This record gives sequence, structure tokens and C-alpha cells, in this order.
Amino acid sequence: MNRTPTPEAFGQDPWKARIDRVFARALVLPLLLALGLLALLLGDTLYRSVSVQVVRADMGPGHTYPFGLSAETILQKELLAQGYTEEEAAFMLQDPKERNALFLQNRVELMWNTHEGPFRYVVTNVYDERVADFSLAEGLRRWNELKANLQEGERLVLNPWLDQSFLTRPPSRSPLTAGIGVAIWGTVWVLSLALLFAIPVGIGTAILLEEYLREGRLSRILEVNLRNLAGVPSIVYGLLGLALFVRGMGLGPSVLAAALTLGLLGVPVIVVTAREALRAVPDSLRLAAFALGATQRQVVFRVVVPAALPGMVTGVILSAARLMGEAAPLLLVGAAAYVPFAPTGPLSQYTVVPVQIYLWISQNQPEFARVAAAGILVMLLLLSVLYLMALYLRNRFRREW
Amino acid sequence: MEILKQRPSRHPAERLTLLVLLLLSSVTLLTTLGVILSLLGDVIQFFRRVPLAEFLFAPEWTPLFAEPRYGIAPLLAGTFLVTAIALFVAVPLGLALAVYVSEYLSPDKRARVLGVLELFGGIPTVVFGYFALLSVTPLLQKVIPGLSLFNPLSAGLVMGFAILPYVSNVAADAMQSVPRSIREAAYALGARPYEVALKVVLPAALSGVIAAIILAASRAIGETMIVAIAAGQRPALTLDPRETIATMTSYIVQAATGDQPVGSTAYYALFAVGFTLFLLTLALNVLAQYIVERYRERYE
Amino acid sequence: MSLEQLREHQTVRTDPVPESQALVDVRQLSLWYGTKQALYDISVRFPKNQVTAIIGPSGCGKSTLLRSLNRMNDLVPGVRVKGEVLYEGVNIYDPRVDPVAVRRHIGMVFQKPNPFPKTIFENVAFGLRLMGVKGSELEDRVVEALKRAALWEEVKDRFKKESGLRLSGGQQQRLCIARAIAVEPPLLLMDEPTSALDPIATQAIEDLILELKERYTVVIVTHNMQQAARVSDRTLFMHLGVLVEEGPTEVIFTKPKHPYTEAYITGRFG
Repeated sequence: MNRTPTPEAFGQDPWKARIDRVFARALVLPLLLALGLLALLLGDTLYRSVSVQVVRADMGPGHTYPFGLSAETILQKELLAQGYTEEEAAFMLQDPKERNALFLQNRVELMWNTHEGPFRYVVTNVYDERVADFSLAEGLRRWNELKANLQEGERLVLNPWLDQSFLTRPPSRSPLTAGIGVAIWGTVWVLSLALLFAIPVGIGTAILLEEYLREGRLSRILEVNLRNLAGVPSIVYGLLGLALFVRGMGLGPSVLAAALTLGLLGVPVIVVTAREALRAVPDSLRLAAFALGATQRQVVFRVVVPAALPGMVTGVILSAARLMGEAAPLLLVGAAAYVPFAPTGPLSQYTVVPVQIYLWISQNQPEFARVAAAGILVMLLLLSVLYLMALYLRNRFRREW
Repeated sequence: MEILKQRPSRHPAERLTLLVLLLLSSVTLLTTLGVILSLLGDVIQFFRRVPLAEFLFAPEWTPLFAEPRYGIAPLLAGTFLVTAIALFVAVPLGLALAVYVSEYLSPDKRARVLGVLELFGGIPTVVFGYFALLSVTPLLQKVIPGLSLFNPLSAGLVMGFAILPYVSNVAADAMQSVPRSIREAAYALGARPYEVALKVVLPAALSGVIAAIILAASRAIGETMIVAIAAGQRPALTLDPRETIATMTSYIVQAATGDQPVGSTAYYALFAVGFTLFLLTLALNVLAQYIVERYRERYE
Repeated sequence: MSLEQLREHQTVRTDPVPESQALVDVRQLSLWYGTKQALYDISVRFPKNQVTAIIGPSGCGKSTLLRSLNRMNDLVPGVRVKGEVLYEGVNIYDPRVDPVAVRRHIGMVFQKPNPFPKTIFENVAFGLRLMGVKGSELEDRVVEALKRAALWEEVKDRFKKESGLRLSGGQQQRLCIARAIAVEPPLLLMDEPTSALDPIATQAIEDLILELKERYTVVIVTHNMQQAARVSDRTLFMHLGVLVEEGPTEVIFTKPKHPYTEAYITGRFG
């Protein structure tokens, strides 16, 4: 007996089947939303980092200087007159490329008669002044119109804010000449020192917990403590840094204080990833080493740790990526000052990339938003590099035990 | 294996190694101690000058006025407002994602999607703040009349996405630890996938899901950059999401980047707010931990 | 017999079940997990209101066959099925049939007891709620199921508040049985229901099965031959995905016709 199945043969309920389908489809929405937001964020930042500008070469009133001074000295005095400090001026004059650029911007001419007396050097400042700044869409749309309306000495440029000079220049008070170079150096300094501090502490703690301590009071205390530390907001670490390192130990707003603060922040993450890496090493390896007569120390450091090394390195890279983006704690520990020089030592003043971006965002001039966009692109690029490194490591060294 | 953790032998190299490891680990303990002590010291200084009652109950936070008032209520209100909005976004989306990932995806795709979500967590919050201020706020201003430039609504919405991975990944984890046999039993009784997800898996993983939400709230409360950039730094006791406010974290940033002379009450106020923040997030984290431990089902 | 010969083998049958008495009629069922074939051309009928046991060495496909009867195999990605399974005359593998609906008609009890982390009441009520049963009818049917599963006396004072997980192993399995029979499925499938239980609990479940067959048709997979002998009316012997022999239980256990069957029964392999 072979009956044709009717939908009622098994008492189907089409309602519920329908709900099931809708449900499954609806659940994909949040994922799409999240991905969409990510794309929007990136696209928006990219878009904002390029603008169309009407730029005018302007000549400012020149200062005059007595005859007999060398060109260098005149330039230096001119910089001082423009508002730079002695150190800043000296720094700028050191770099030959920078110096040439400055000479181009500040023409030195000997004139018979000047408004301050005869036979003096006159310095004429030539700089680009923005007359107007348009978003990419608007600028391209109105390109021809704007071009037709150019005044004497003006030109229309398509200006990508992220260019080579942006990467190397120090920050400045004008958005046109602002650069992220100093901040990148600051990040390198602070991050390296922070990792120098956090890696031994983090990996040491992981080894202690995974290879030495048995289930007992000490291990439980350490674990609970670590879990709590992981949940403390990063800005509280900043307060700790402020009270303990900046003021308490008298380090002031220095690279060292920042590195210590950031290092403490990174320890819990490193511990977690290192423990996972250690746990992934099968016990059979340990047993084999013990059977050969190795001591605990030898088993751990000659067998287990080398086997867990790729995992641990990946973990370190990932936590470095997280730390690189931290701004809040460093703002408290002194990265906020206007710092135009790269750090020269652990006690130097400094700034880091995310803090610099924050400072730019907080500026009043609207063009600084574009500078910030360029900065964000640089930061995201650095992050991607780190993540790709971690991914590569993980795939290259994935072992089948 | 426990048996592989030997007692350290007498050899000095062994003992030394253990000592070094203990020293390194003690840094973590010292950190906690340091946090508490460093905050506590300055907090005590603060409360020598400002009565506790004022701190808790005064409705204004105006440290820079000629007659400064130090009531934390406005800062708490600001924090609460932004957090609530963020959770409003993150919880439904995160739970939906968690259900989708653990019930509707095959294991290989699962890992990839969870990885993508982790990426969200890796984006520096400065970037989110930037987006909130420069893109979200102008957009919202066109739709919502009376929306200030700095407002908790934009910050909260964007923050919701920033904490999304905390909700989704932790909740998905909890759901995946529900054993397969329970799902099978439900399917064998003729339940549809959505019924299995909602009536069996979600209730079974409830403690983990709640813990995920609490942890996400804790993160939102401690979040700094998004609010500092987009929500404002002007304390106001209001629950209107269109007005500029300050949160505990945005105030800390503002106060620290301004120059407070050391020793002034305003300087110590910094630590008082920080300590409150620390206690609040600690309480939430402990609560989440407690819920997971006490209410987790043992399936054996 | 070589592997190819085994796969070409025609099932040896004693007193085959006539169509009129069959609740389930399996016709030339073959199943693949990806590229690996797990069932080879199986044809057999399961008689109403009787207990049929499926025995055989590990990996012979007994569980796979059992799960094919309520389309639980569909939950495994990459599964492919050929042939027909007629349940009361309707092929459940017909593309027009909704597998979820099929499962409402068939109950299943698993090897390891798997009660939901809910109260005893909610566990038994789950299937009923899916069907939309509410209120006093719901409660009555839950109590009825608990009675039929021989669990009522032990839990009647706490079944509404206590979690199902607090019961002992044997009680949990009876709870799972109550949960399965609450919706009154004509067919009850049991996949090694006592292998995770101690001997006393096993005995209780076996007695229960003998009672259940008055109202339900039972198909039980077991690796315990003595259990099959005690509990079932008919027995199927499978090996490597092939149905080697089937017939009344006494025949299979005392006068098996196929040498493989005899070898298995006497313990020479498997």
C-alpha cells in the first residue's frame, strides 16, 4: 500500500515552518548590519581623508635682519619670530631636507632700502593658504566652476591628506603641515618598552600557573586576580600610572611611565594566550621528557615552551595590536602635551598615534578632521600588518599533534 | 596532568627558576594592590575636603566654579544613559548573532564569523569615536531636532557596535557548551530549529548569556574614547539623550588633560571618580562570575 | 563470504511480516554519509504492537537504520538516502514530506539519558507544548505519561519543582521515555537505552518495555543479546551495513539460519 503523501499525512503545521524560515533569515541581519557598519566606517574615513582645495600662494610681511648675518642665522631668527621655540627651530634646521624646504618658504633677499633701515636682509614668507576646502564629492562636481573662479595666485588641488610627508612630519598647529611621524616613533618607543616589561611577567605567570602550580590557594588567588584585572577599564590603569609612575616614582610624563602603564594593561591578555598555547602542548611530550630524566625546569624550558612558542608569539602580537590602539590610559599619563619631537630616550616626552588622533579630533579647525582621518588610516594599516603577521604565524606553525 | 607538576627538587637552578616565576607573577598581584592603594590614597584626600553626602547626593559636578560642587550624580547619569543605549543596540544584535552562530552555522563557518566579530573588538575606540562624532551625529541631527553636537545618543549607538563582540562571542560560547544530546532530544520530539534554539538551548545557556550581558555593560561603563569624543565633557544631570553630558570616563579625560594643580581638590576629584568607576566595574564583573558559577548546569 | 558477496546478499527471513501487520515498511533503503555507504539495500517490516530488536557488532549500522526511521539522519550534513521508508503507507522520504512533522509521530530514546535542564514536568510537557496542548489537558497527559513510564510514584510529590537532572540515571532514562511517549507516538525508537545504566535500572526499563508494547510499537537497538532475547518479539541481525537475517526472536537465537548470525549469537565475533 503506497499512499500519496498529502501535507496533512503527518499533521504538518505550515505556520511554524514559515516562522522557522523567517527566523533563520532574520538572524543573518545583525551580521550584515555589523559588517555594513564596518564597511561604512572604513569608507567614510577614506573619503574624508581626501579633499579638494582652493589654495593660494601667499606672501606674508617679511621681517628684516642686519647685514652680516649668515643665512642660517637669519633663518633661525625668522623661525623664532614666527613663534617656534629654540629647540624646535634647531631641530627643524638639522634635517637638510627640512632646511631646504624652509628656505624655499622663506626667501632671504638683501635689499638696499627696507622699512626698517637701509641695507638689510628681508625675509619673505611664501606659504600656501587654504582659501576653501571641499569634500571630494562636492569638489569634483564643481571642479570646472571652481577652476573658472580662481583668483590671481590661486590654484585648485586634489589633496590626499595621507601622503608621504604626512608620515614623516611632526604635528603642527596648522592642519596643512601636520604629520604623524613623531607619533609613530612615540608608539614604537612606548610599545616596545611596554612589551619588554609585559612579556616576561605575562609568560612567567602563565608558565607558573600551567606547569608548576597545582590546584591550590595560590593558583586560585592568581587566577581570580587575573580575571579581575582583565575587567578593569583601561582608564583606571591610566590613573594608576598617573599616581604611581608619573607622580609617585617621579618619572613625569615620560615614555617610561607610559610603557609601564601600558605593560600592566597588557599582562592579562598575554597570560591568557600564553596559557592556551601551553595547554595545547600534549602531555605525552612532557612524559617523554621526564622519562628521559629531565628536571621540571628542563622539561618546561627545553620542551614545552619551544613547542608552545608560535602560539605565544601570536598572542603577544595580538596583544601588541590591542595596546597600540589604547588612548585613554596614555592621555592620563602625559601623552597629551603638544610634542613635536620623536622621543630620544625613556625619559623623553612623547605622544602615540591614537592620542595624536584624539588631539586632532578635538581641535577646532575643521580641517583637522581630515588630518585625523589620515591618521586613522595609518593606524588601521599598522593594525592590519600586525594582524596579518599573527595570522601568518598561526597558519604556518599549526601543528597536527 | 597534575602528576606532571613535580615538587621542585633541591637543585638550586630549579629553585631559582621557581623563584623567578613567582616574582614575575607577583607583579600581577602587586598591580591590583597598586590600583587600590594609589586610588585610595588620593580618594581619602578627596573625602577630607568634600563630605561623602555631597559626593553621593549633590546634583551638580562643577569643580571649576568659584564655589565648586562635587556631586557625582550627573556623571553617573551620563554613564548610565550611554550604557543603556549601547546595551539596547548590543544585546538584541548580539544574542541574535549568538543564536545564529551556534545553531545555524556549520563549525567551520562558525570560526570564521566569530573571527570577524573579534575584529570589531580589535578596532581602537578612537576610530569609533571619530565615526560617531563626524558621521553619525550629523546624520542624526537631520532626523532628530534638538540634537546637540555632543550627545549620548550617537556615542551610545556606536558603542553598542563596539561592545557587540563581547555579547555575541561570550553568549555563543555559552550556547555551544550545551551538549549535543539535549539538542537531539528536542529534534527527536519534532521541534523545529528555531524552537530548539529558543526553547531549549537559550534557557539552558541562560546563566552564560546573562553573564555576557553584564560583562558587556561593564565594558561599556569603562569605555572612554567614544564618549570623550562624541558624548561630551559637560556634566549635566539629565536623561535626555539629545543633550550634551559627561560620563565618569569622559570627565576623567577632561580633567587629566586640563592642568589641575597637584594637591587641589579638583585633582583629587579625579581619583574619586576613578575609584567609583573601578568599584562599579568590579562589582559587575564579580556578579557575572558569580552567576556563571552558581547557576551553571552540570550535565553529567 | 567476501565483502561484495555480503553486499549482494539477500536477507534470510523467517515468518516475514505481512504488509497488513506492518507499521513501518522499509524498502531497499541505502544510505551514504558523504561517500561512505552505511546501509546497503535494506528491506524489512516492523510489526505493530510488537518489540523488534536490532542486533549486530559495533559499526554494523544498527543506529543508522534506527535513525533513518525518523529522519534524524537528516541532521548530519552530507547524508544521502535512496529507497523508501513507508510509515503507515506513506513514504517519509518523499520530497513533499516535512521531516519535522514525521518526528512528531515517532518517539526516540537515546543511549545516554538526556533530560532537558528543566523541571520534570517541563521535560515531559515539552513535546506536548510543541503540539499546542495547554492547561489541564497538558497536566493530565504529563501525569499519564509519567505513570506509564513507571516514574510517577517516585516523583509525584516533586515533579513540578524538581529539575530533571537531579534524578538518578535510571530515573532520568525513564523520564526520557515519559517525555517521548507523552505525545502518544505510535512508534517508539530506542537506541541502546540501558547501556549507560546499572543492572537494576536496566531491569526496570526492560520490564517497562514489555508493558509499553501494548500501546506502542517499539524498535530497540541493543548490543546486549540477552536483553534482545528477553524483551523482543522479532530480531534483526545486521553486519557491515547489511541486514543478514531477520525473524522471530526464538528462531534467531535458537535456530539461526545464516552462519554469520550463528557466529554472532555464539559470541565468536562482535
